[in-house]
Amino acid sequence: MSSRREVPRPLGRTTRRSFLKGVVTVGAGLTAAGAAASACGSSVAKQGTRVRIWSWLTGMNKYVDAFNNSQSDIHVELSVIAAGVSGGYAQQANAIRAHNAPDILHTEYQGLPQILLTGGLRDLSSDMADLAGGYSAAAWTGVRPGARTWAVPFDLAPMAFYYRKDLFDANGLTVPTTWGAFRDAAAAVRGIDPGAHVTTFPLSDGAFYAGMSWGADDPWWRIDGDSWRVSVDNPGSQKVAQYWQSMIDDDLVATTATGTQDWISGLHTGKLWGLLGAAWSLGSLKKFIPEDKNRWAVAPLPTWEGSPPTNGMHGGTAFGVSRESKNPEAALTFLRWLSTDPAVPKIAAGFTSLFPAYTPNRQGARAEFTNDYFIGEPVYDVLDLAATRVPEWTWGPNSLGMFSTIQDNIGGAATGGPSLSAALKPIHTAAVADLRDRGISVIERTTS
Amino acid sequence: MSVSAPHRPSSDADSRCAPRKRRRKPPRRTGLAAFALAGPFTVLLVGTVLIPVAYAVYLSLFTDRFSGLGFESPRRVFIALGNYWDVLADPAFQVSIRNVVAFALIQVPLMIALALVLAMLLDSAVVRLKQMWSLAVFLPYALPGVIAGLIWAYLYSPGIGPIADLLPFDPLSSGAVLSSIVNIATWQWVGYNVIIFYTALQAVPKELTEAAHVDGAGAFRIAYSIKTPMIKPTIFVSAVFSIIGSLQLFTEPLILRTFTSAVNSTWTPSLYVYESAFVSGDYGRAAAAAVILALASAVLSALVMRLSKRSNR
Repeated sequence: MSSRREVPRPLGRTTRRSFLKGVVTVGAGLTAAGAAASACGSSVAKQGTRVRIWSWLTGMNKYVDAFNNSQSDIHVELSVIAAGVSGGYAQQANAIRAHNAPDILHTEYQGLPQILLTGGLRDLSSDMADLAGGYSAAAWTGVRPGARTWAVPFDLAPMAFYYRKDLFDANGLTVPTTWGAFRDAAAAVRGIDPGAHVTTFPLSDGAFYAGMSWGADDPWWRIDGDSWRVSVDNPGSQKVAQYWQSMIDDDLVATTATGTQDWISGLHTGKLWGLLGAAWSLGSLKKFIPEDKNRWAVAPLPTWEGSPPTNGMHGGTAFGVSRESKNPEAALTFLRWLSTDPAVPKIAAGFTSLFPAYTPNRQGARAEFTNDYFIGEPVYDVLDLAATRVPEWTWGPNSLGMFSTIQDNIGGAATGGPSLSAALKPIHTAAVADLRDRGISVIERTTS
Repeated sequence: MSVSAPHRPSSDADSRCAPRKRRRKPPRRTGLAAFALAGPFTVLLVGTVLIPVAYAVYLSLFTDRFSGLGFESPRRVFIALGNYWDVLADPAFQVSIRNVVAFALIQVPLMIALALVLAMLLDSAVVRLKQMWSLAVFLPYALPGVIAGLIWAYLYSPGIGPIADLLPFDPLSSGAVLSSIVNIATWQWVGYNVIIFYTALQAVPKELTEAAHVDGAGAFRIAYSIKTPMIKPTIFVSAVFSIIGSLQLFTEPLILRTFTSAVNSTWTPSLYVYESAFVSGDYGRAAAAAVILALASAVLSALVMRLSKRSNR
């Protein structure tokens, strides 16, 4: 009876909450609108601790269902949110501000330091200490900005070169292993089919551009004591910028966006012979052009001559626990299961090629993966190699905002605007100014 | 004085109160009715307009300050008008203002003129199937802005849509993207204005046009010298709405941004607000820019209304 009587109070709270949620959703704009409400966890409400998670990870509903069915102490409720900077990130930042954040937040490595600025994440250092040895170095450092653990790593996204092996073979082209050879291959493709390009270098994707720069082993951010060392316009990034600018100037690569109809039809019709992708691109190819079996192969990304072979990462997911979560233990139980349980790669094998951050799970992921799509080298051999080639890199506290700055500054590189290498300076200046503006301590390092 | 009078409203003893009482009775009833009728509106106005506006003004006076690496929770600091100076001094904001002003200067006269011509044609006796025509021009307005933006973006895209092949230039290039957006907005809003003008034209007394006809005025002369001046106030109101809409231009550039690099993240003031709040996470700056935008809209509308009153005199 007494619990019945309490009904009005929670109702009142929910009204205010749903009002705030409404404000947040409207605020987050078109991309995020409507996504907030689409909960798609298991429909059967079970007893147990309720844990709310917001995520845009493909297949998360399958993982959540499997977890909920495996035990009855914790019930995870998933809300699928829109991907990306002005989608899910905006929604999460607003929710943190409105003190209405879910227990678990989606925090890619690249976005983690910026989410930390909201003060909305729980320090997981002691909770995660026992797993320190289990993760690959890139993942572990990725969730430990400032030497404290802020998130639980899920997967890694080392970059790789996906290519039309059928076309390469038919025309006697070998897969380029260096960027010099890549340029020759690009020219050869233009010669063979004047309507085709070896790949596109999307000027509308700041995260991709950062990933390509990561491969040059000259990090944009470093933590130095209590300050950030910012260095975007550095020799490594200049090398990358100059190389791609000359590729663009000589019309050896396309510059159109990835993920568009145009791009998909290009991959399918042979207008694009390759893709500068990451571990998750396999899922994209299978999703966008499922009928193109036995055409595509994956190879390590070409590397720079005269320096140790390196490639960057593009994406990669981790999950944080909200500072205001009422059930942080339950949230962590789920996240530890998601990150380390062998059941997860088994589920993932059905729809993608999961590349787990937790190294003991890699063997399982490889064993479960059934290749019915690719030809050439085994996918996991390439990904394993690519993962060992990822150099050290720290994401800054404004990296998401900077992806947008990058897009604004390099957008005209193919149409007579500032070149990629000229754009690095304004990007650097904007990044430093933005941080200083917020009172964050910055040491500039301009070496070029 | 009769301080206690309100406590004894039924008392007939005081003759001075009697007429007052009689007068007060009907107002009390309409007061209740007014309250009941205005209640929902007031609640919505306060809850969805006034409180958010006040909150935005409040937010615009503060900024988040971090220390060191920024991993500790931020402090909210009062900086008075600091955000406003930052916004006004930001070259990106100035460019965004320039973009919408250029947009408004081209789009508003173009659309109003086009809508007026179409409304006159609908109103003239020669057009058959009036309802079908008015539905045809009105239909684009029924489409959500996002969908309209996507449709046009695909039509403009080289390699997918036909428009890039027909035109001698790329409609998504940096030189042409403004006119491409003008085209989308005009396509979408012209029908709405046609209907408004057409409705206003119905109110023009037939005697006037008949008299003009008898005096020897042709259809063009009647349209230009009789009908247009008669619906001038309507045209001005439409212009005000269109100008405000131009300042708030958001959906079309946001959609086109994923198709072309000619539209950057701060291309219009609304995009600037969006970028500041939801990409950079700087709520103070976003709120300041939003307040500036609102004030600019208010000032502009007032100006246009005053102009219209003066020209009506």
